[in-house]
Amino acid sequence: MFYGGIDVGSLTAQAVVLKDNSIYSFQSIPVKPNPVDSAAAVIEGALRDKGLTLKDLSFCVSTGYGREQIQKEGLAGENMSEISCHGKGAWWILPRVRTVIDIGGQDAKVIRVDQDGELVNFVMNDKCAAGTGRFLDVMSKTLGVTVEEIGPLSFSARQVIEMSSRCSIFCETEVHHYLQRGAGLADLAAGINRTMAGRVMALVRRVGIEKEVTMTGGVAKNPAVRRELEKAMGLKMLTYNVDSQLVGALGAALIARRLEEVKS
Amino acid sequence: MITLGLDVGSLFTKAVLLDDDRLLATAIRETSGTIAMEVGALIDLALERGGVTRSDVGTITSTGQGDELVEQADFLEDDVACIAAATRHYLPDTELTLEIGGQSITGVLSSPGGDVTNYMRNDKCASGTGRFIEVISAALGVAMEQFDETVTRAAKKVTVSTQCAVFAESEIISHLNQGEAVPDIIAGVCESTARIIISQALRFGPVSHYTVTGGVALFSSITGILEVKLPGIYRPFPIDPRFAAAFGAALLGQQE
Repeated sequence: MFYGGIDVGSLTAQAVVLKDNSIYSFQSIPVKPNPVDSAAAVIEGALRDKGLTLKDLSFCVSTGYGREQIQKEGLAGENMSEISCHGKGAWWILPRVRTVIDIGGQDAKVIRVDQDGELVNFVMNDKCAAGTGRFLDVMSKTLGVTVEEIGPLSFSARQVIEMSSRCSIFCETEVHHYLQRGAGLADLAAGINRTMAGRVMALVRRVGIEKEVTMTGGVAKNPAVRRELEKAMGLKMLTYNVDSQLVGALGAALIARRLEEVKS
Repeated sequence: MITLGLDVGSLFTKAVLLDDDRLLATAIRETSGTIAMEVGALIDLALERGGVTRSDVGTITSTGQGDELVEQADFLEDDVACIAAATRHYLPDTELTLEIGGQSITGVLSSPGGDVTNYMRNDKCASGTGRFIEVISAALGVAMEQFDETVTRAAKKVTVSTQCAVFAESEIISHLNQGEAVPDIIAGVCESTARIIISQALRFGPVSHYTVTGGVALFSSITGILEVKLPGIYRPFPIDPRFAAAFGAALLGQQE
């Protein structure tokens, strides 16, 4: 039996195909203008890799942008919030996890789950770019480095130049001023990553921490933000060997399997 | 007495020259990273336009977020006090002044006697400030000076749902990609900016009269919406609204 999960984000779309109790296939693509097109391309791609088609899926769940439309177009049998999917996916990989920090391209969420991976509570910021992947995106461009480089870059910092504002636009201006005065890229990168973590910590504090803690989403790949968050929380976060951007799609596929089991 | 007021804002530095309460001259330049060295030239320009020399000037008062960068200043004044002084002078029965600058929205509430009774400032977020309009202007490739004229050609207002300047930039680009017309998008941006300003203003409760100062007050496409949607009577600021705080600084310099 095969189960599918589709997660369309602001920048990338992911699909996971489950077989029995393991990840059988997965794919990640940059988004297309329309979320339904992204969903179709990514799930069909993940299936094609294993010589499968949509018809081979017993059940499929969509999440993320346009999840309802994706269901309406028949690509998924049900749709679920990203919050439930990220909680479920992270818990399946790491059953001891109770707090999931999920930072995507345009939002940040802190999700609390119970021993069964069910949602207990969450907080979310999707109103302001600060504390989301977009903040790192804007800041990397300002520094003239890629978003993949800004994390490792800060490890060679000699000092941490923290930003005085949280607003991405104001930080951009601030970084320009520092650059004009000859500040080091690494020192600024370190400050940017710390400022980013500070904004995420405001969300973490609102929902509270229960151990164990892990991160999902694209920003989980930034080691400097991870380290700043660990310092601020006073704990080590759990790591895992699944791409952190796949966790939402994985959770969707797990929910698809459960829904199908309940039905039969 | 001849006094000079300087307002070092986040985007622009303004100078106002007064003879008692009579406006002699104004001057403005962008606030650069080296504004401390350039402010002397701005002072000289204002003096030249006013037909006076440095020795004629009784006091120089500076205000704004970079007020300490002006070493020529005899006094520093808080910008809230300066804004209130400017409104008290030109529009004495106006309770609320909304100063919308490059990087902040400041609301100043005054008693009928002109004393500041309350103020609120949002300088944490670019939303609704001059920077917000600047970001959108760059994304659309339409100069800010063209906004008012462009809006007159709008057939409708495209809804801009986010208040964050970064997210609004992406939203606007997707509106463009979906084929929405530039004037309709700008009309939507003005509506959205006005809505952000209104929500700040409403935190003070109802007022009978209000005015708007700072660079954003130059956009009639925004103040026009405030006039309709913000309760109370809108009083246009009688001089170039960008100079309100510098005017207030020069005025307060008269009392020193």
